Amino acid sequence: MLNRGVNYKIPRNLLFLFESIALFLMFMYYRNALDRSTIIYGLSLIFIIYISNLILSKIVSGDNYIFLIVTMLASIGIIMIYRINYEQGFKQIIWISLGIVLFFATYFIVKRIKGWEKLFLYYCLASVFLFLATLLLGRRFKGAINWISIGGISFQPTEIIKILAILMIASYYTNYDRFKEKKWGRYYLIGIMYLFVFFLFLQRDLGSVLIFCSLFLALQYIYDENRKLVLANIVVLMFSGLLGYVIFPHVRIRFETWINPWKYIDTIGYQITQSLFAISEGGFFGTGLGLGHPDFIPEVSKDFIFSAICEEMGILTGIGVIMLFMILVYRGFKISINQRNKFFRIVALGISILFGIQSFIIFGGVINMIPLTGITIPFVSYGGSSMLSSFIALGILQVASEELDIEED
Amino acid sequence: MEKEIKRIITVLAGICILFVSLVVYLTYFQIFKADKVKNSSYNKRLWINEEKILRGSIIDRNGKILAYSELNGETYARVYNYGSLYSHIIGYSYRDYGKSNLELYYNNVLLNTSESAALNELKNLVEPNSEGNTLKLTIDHHLQEYSRNQMKGKKGAIVAMNPSTGEIYAMVSLPDFNPSTLREDWGNIVEDENSPLLNRAISGLYQPGSTFKVVTAISALENNMYMEDYECTGTAVVDGYPLKDYDGKGHGTVNLNEALIYSCNPYFAETGIKLGIDRLSETAEKFLLNREIPFDLPVKKSLFPKKGNIGKTDVAAASIGQGKVLVTPLNMALIASGIANKGDIMKPVLVKEVISKDGKVIDSFKAEVISRATDIFTANELKNMMVDVVNKGTGKNARISNIRVAGKTGTAENPSGNDHAWFIGFAPADDPKIAIAVILEEEGSTGGQKAAPIARNIMLEALNTINN
Amino acid sequence: MFNILSLVFKYVFIVIIYMFIFSIIKLIYLDIKGIRPIPADSGTYLKLINRKDTLPFKVKEYYPLEDNVFLGRGNDNEIVIKDPYISKKHLRIVKDEDEYFLEDLKSANGTYVNGDRVMDVVKLNNGDRISVGQVEFLFVNKE
Repeated sequence: MLNRGVNYKIPRNLLFLFESIALFLMFMYYRNALDRSTIIYGLSLIFIIYISNLILSKIVSGDNYIFLIVTMLASIGIIMIYRINYEQGFKQIIWISLGIVLFFATYFIVKRIKGWEKLFLYYCLASVFLFLATLLLGRRFKGAINWISIGGISFQPTEIIKILAILMIASYYTNYDRFKEKKWGRYYLIGIMYLFVFFLFLQRDLGSVLIFCSLFLALQYIYDENRKLVLANIVVLMFSGLLGYVIFPHVRIRFETWINPWKYIDTIGYQITQSLFAISEGGFFGTGLGLGHPDFIPEVSKDFIFSAICEEMGILTGIGVIMLFMILVYRGFKISINQRNKFFRIVALGISILFGIQSFIIFGGVINMIPLTGITIPFVSYGGSSMLSSFIALGILQVASEELDIEED
Repeated sequence: MEKEIKRIITVLAGICILFVSLVVYLTYFQIFKADKVKNSSYNKRLWINEEKILRGSIIDRNGKILAYSELNGETYARVYNYGSLYSHIIGYSYRDYGKSNLELYYNNVLLNTSESAALNELKNLVEPNSEGNTLKLTIDHHLQEYSRNQMKGKKGAIVAMNPSTGEIYAMVSLPDFNPSTLREDWGNIVEDENSPLLNRAISGLYQPGSTFKVVTAISALENNMYMEDYECTGTAVVDGYPLKDYDGKGHGTVNLNEALIYSCNPYFAETGIKLGIDRLSETAEKFLLNREIPFDLPVKKSLFPKKGNIGKTDVAAASIGQGKVLVTPLNMALIASGIANKGDIMKPVLVKEVISKDGKVIDSFKAEVISRATDIFTANELKNMMVDVVNKGTGKNARISNIRVAGKTGTAENPSGNDHAWFIGFAPADDPKIAIAVILEEEGSTGGQKAAPIARNIMLEALNTINN
Repeated sequence: MFNILSLVFKYVFIVIIYMFIFSIIKLIYLDIKGIRPIPADSGTYLKLINRKDTLPFKVKEYYPLEDNVFLGRGNDNEIVIKDPYISKKHLRIVKDEDEYFLEDLKSANGTYVNGDRVMDVVKLNNGDRISVGQVEFLFVNKE
């Protein structure tokens, strides 16, 4: 009594349907400015996504859902971006395609090469190096020093450091017994994390501070044997949060704008109030693609793409996006529980927590549920560094979803 | 291993709770806050339609054009024919400063668009929207101008209306501002301590003082608790707190009628205490205090202290319109109208008709009773008492020869400055055509002296010139 | 024209997105319940009969069968099972003209179909039970 087989065809085809209709609509929207290459690029993307999902379900023995979910998220994102800005949409297609390539590349590389858990020192050094590079070479953008520009290509080192940090934490706890024996071994990690937070503070990247702290705290809570250290950490972080509020005016401003954005509607509150206008305009079903005015929000393609989605595609779509992230995080946690290899278990956890916390912080910020911070929505926001690093992380997660050999110690 | 899994699940649960709270907040926001947010004048979406549509005009009840849009090169510019005269009624509509008053609350009507963008798109498909609708107000331009001139140089408000239909003939609030020169004056306007942007008629809250005694009187009549013989010595001591008449002299033996004529504070204070806060507030609420007043512009709620721990001194103060009682001038005009209109208060109306660009009347107001404040007999009794106030009492300055005028004066003590001067009334008493409320803020003089003559002039002018 | 389309499609999009979400949730739910998603285009596979957690080595619920499938302890087999009682190259299942045949590759402990030991080649029918080492499979052939 075997049931009819359930298969991945349904969601894959639904995704295809969604993309096709949306793309068709977008072509109509831009009918005056269309040219051959755009149509080709658009169709290619749909193709690439379909094929990748198909390939994945065939060759990979692990989880298939995460890639499906991610491609749906990316599709929603790119339709919105394309609608807002023709060129950015174009570039985003490139980023997604590159991302998918990187995804597969990461998958194969990480799977083949063993010994990732032994590279604790290298992860540390690489991160510190990147931090220093940012401080020295970085350019200020909207108050935070986030970017490095080398020879015409600019990227955000923080995105890479996030992944390095997860790998670092995972390798630390995998080899905890060895670290325990060293003199200050128990405190290596916490020391390094505070160093990172310090760097981020120097960069004025408050959003990333939040992400790193939450990530570290969560993993420490789960894995650190020294429970008192965990407690101490929580207390110190809360305390420094309060301290930060008192000392730094730019922290205070964020809070005040959050509590009453209308008071500052002409100045710092402008972005968030425009975001609220957009969200309230859409109602549950949205105004319809192309019929709203998401372009009234400054910098809409990056952090506020969610508000644009709520305006034109409705709160229901917004909730759908949130649900997709929830499922993604859940899936990541399930993968981690099922994984017997400790290193990859922690890595899977870290990546899931990263996706979860990051998206929560930015969603919460743009709907004004929590103060606004300038970070991107993984897979959805416009931007190369974010997209590529998210796909790399996803690739690692994909590896973690498979049956791996446990290291015979 | 076990502990690890438990902790992992804890963290997962935590993250899920975070996400769920996002969904909840988003839904809550959409259901409860979205509408208010949408209508903020900073929302550029209110503007996008402007460019292509000729915004409708605003005219008075006789067809006189008060505001209109004209083509200025590529775009439309708004013209306000009478400058500051209608600043608090029509308001303004500017890209950089947003919209206010009727320009804001009737924005969709003036542009002939609907709330939903989708509906607009559909309508546009059928027939492209190029011109908005015209608002015909209940305002009588001549009376509006006359009223403002009566109050020139002072601070306060006037509301003149038709008690049987609810139509507002004139609504003045001073100081005001000129919407035509809004851009240049903005700095001064915003920093002016006297708040010219405030429409005192509907947003100003004042203690009504003795004008409130009409409500106390009605409460006494309805509950059969009025004193026939009261010895007024000019002072009453309530809970050890002395309450004086205006001149402190004492009116001798008075009944309800006489107490009202001479505005005897101790009488009404005692009456109020006898009635108790529950009965008083019940009557007050029938006269729209503590209630939302439906109107074409938002009206601040008047306040009357209700049940709870209210000491005798508070009750005494409330019965003479002091203490915690706060009213808008519109509310007082409605009280006068209610008494004039056999006890029924009609819904106040500013917009008489909406006329489409083709000249068709697509909407017109219907007179509506919003509160049966009291019965016809009690109203009649009060009416007669108020006629006496004008003929024999504090309201002598409101007399009009050959016309029975009903009224009540008030001099409200203002804790932070000079007294306010009030007058409410209506005329002719037996077939009222006009009801009015006048308040002169911090006038420093009595209602009888300063407010009554203004009300008298306006009522006379109205009776002479308005015939529809 | 575009406006009407957009107005209509906004509802369509929401429906599709939610159908997508629900189909994924359903897949995950079934996954938890233990029913592994099967590639729908292959109707032939081996289904594990033993309880997975009673076995001290890794084994899957389903093994799809193609034209030529080797099963054994060694890593170069299509089906790898680290059961010490299974030989390095234990057996082979071949498809020949819509029929499936099982060949025991001279394994140490043998292969049993429906209780009978396989001496060299035997035809497989839908519902046959295949025992190899400590594992027992059900042979499913939908076609």
